[in-house]
Amino acid sequence: MIPRFSLVRPHTLDEALAAFEATGGDAAYLAGGTELLQVMKLGFAQIGTLIDVKRVPDLKGIERRPDGWLRLGAAVTHREIERSELVRHELPALAGLELHLANARVRNAGTIGGNLAFAEPHSDPATFLLACGATVLLASPSGRRELPIDEFVVGPLFTAREADEVMISVQVPPAAAGEGRSYDKLAFFERPAASVAVRLTVRDGAITAATVAVGSVGPVPALVAGAAEALLGADAGGDGLEAAVTAASGALADIEAEADLNGSADYKRHLAAVLLRRAVAAAIREAQADA
Amino acid sequence: MHELVTIELSVNGVARSLLIEPRETLAEVLRDRLGLTGTKVSCDAQVCGACTVLVDGLAMSACTYLAVDADGRAVRTVEGLATDGVLAPVQQAFVDKAAFQCGFCTSGMLMAATALLEDNPTPTREEVVRGLEGNICRCTGYVPIVEAVLAASRAGDAAGAARIEQGSENSGGAR
Ligand SMILES: Cc1cc2nc3c(=O)[nH]c(=O)nc-3n(C[C@H](O)[C@H](O)[C@H](O)COP(=O)(O)OP(=O)(O)OC[C@H]3O[C@@H](n4cnc5c(N)ncnc54)[C@H](O)[C@@H]3O)c2cc1C
Ligand code: FES
Ligand code: FES
Repeated sequence: MIPRFSLVRPHTLDEALAAFEATGGDAAYLAGGTELLQVMKLGFAQIGTLIDVKRVPDLKGIERRPDGWLRLGAAVTHREIERSELVRHELPALAGLELHLANARVRNAGTIGGNLAFAEPHSDPATFLLACGATVLLASPSGRRELPIDEFVVGPLFTAREADEVMISVQVPPAAAGEGRSYDKLAFFERPAASVAVRLTVRDGAITAATVAVGSVGPVPALVAGAAEALLGADAGGDGLEAAVTAASGALADIEAEADLNGSADYKRHLAAVLLRRAVAAAIREAQADA
Repeated sequence: MHELVTIELSVNGVARSLLIEPRETLAEVLRDRLGLTGTKVSCDAQVCGACTVLVDGLAMSACTYLAVDADGRAVRTVEGLATDGVLAPVQQAFVDKAAFQCGFCTSGMLMAATALLEDNPTPTREEVVRGLEGNICRCTGYVPIVEAVLAASRAGDAAGAARIEQGSENSGGAR
């Protein structure tokens, strides 16, 4: 059984923040509950008050802002993202990632905000959004702040979010001209064994900008600068690509990795190298389709 | 005194008003308060799907879904599938294809299949397999289950029936 708690179901952001303050800190925000209820059921957390944020309008909706950034409300479910025409059009790799995350029931209840706030080391969206240069918007009684993903996720199950801060939304920058973004993973159980996200720009047939993020391998999703650098300048269509991808894969050989149920640290690094090859190819395809 | 909340929901089409504790899961309310024990709890961790019910048409893990979150919504369980003693097409297909042995996973499989077919009445075999990912069966094996869902999709859908007649169904590997 889930241990007893009090429940508050606010209809506005101000009510949610005030409800947290009123508890003196013995509270947590609740979205889909797919992580939080599980943790409470297992006795890992005893929380006096749960503040359900699912009714707060600021946390809802998916839209393209006038400046081109995609804005996802923190309480938007995985299912809503997967099925959003806007996301499928603007950021197809995210819609594809959501389709293959967890199982249908978790996708129906679980939210993007809950996923990022929980900071599980095997999070698919955290890895992809890190490569995309996305940000999260947080609100507390003392104001708002926007943090890039790498400043937000600071450790396994640990973020820069203060306990009283509500995550309002996730912002993703638009693709630059000739930019492609891709994500690939391998999963044996519910969560990935390893995953790789690639964001790159192709101009005049050459890779002119690249970002590589690896997830599920180490304690947090991580940017791998060496892998990204190895891709720079490579001929996106020709023979040079093979050498660049091999060099980029080589740069994954010494990333931080932890053995888990999926296999040894070395095995997971190996998986990442294989996935990198696929993700680079997919990102180039998207970049060139765009051109 | 423990905090209690009133929730108003519909369960298999019947309006219910219940006074519950916020911590009660939908599975607990269905089984212990309403006596609807067709919904099973096995892993209690959203992994096995035995507890699958539909909330406003979407499959949910009743084991880890707060009953208060069903406030104002329509819940459907395996008890609601048959009408006047006549099995729903998906239930009949499970019987015809021998898609259960011990039956412990069956309620959840049926509800997952119902959500899948309502969303996509003519799924391919791959779509069925993907849709049932996260519903675990430890004895029957998945082949009869997938075949039952495909059979139900054909029986219930004219386009599917037409495809079968023409011998050009897209789920050709099903048999
Ligand atoms: C069986 C299973 C398989 C899974 N497989 C995958 C997978 O393959 N890939 C993957 O990436 N993930 C996977 N997940 C994780 C899943 O994505 C998350 O459980 C889900 O997105 C969490 O969202 P939620 O709304 O349920 O969060 P909740 O459980 O409600 O909350 C999680 C945490 O975030 C906090 N929180 C939630 N919303 C906010 C907010 N708006 N502001 C501030 N704090 C907030 C809560 O206080 C809590 O600490 C899996 C989960 C399960 C149970
Ligand atoms: S009992 Fe709920 S998913 Fe297994
Ligand atoms: S029939 Fe026994 S678990 Fe599926």
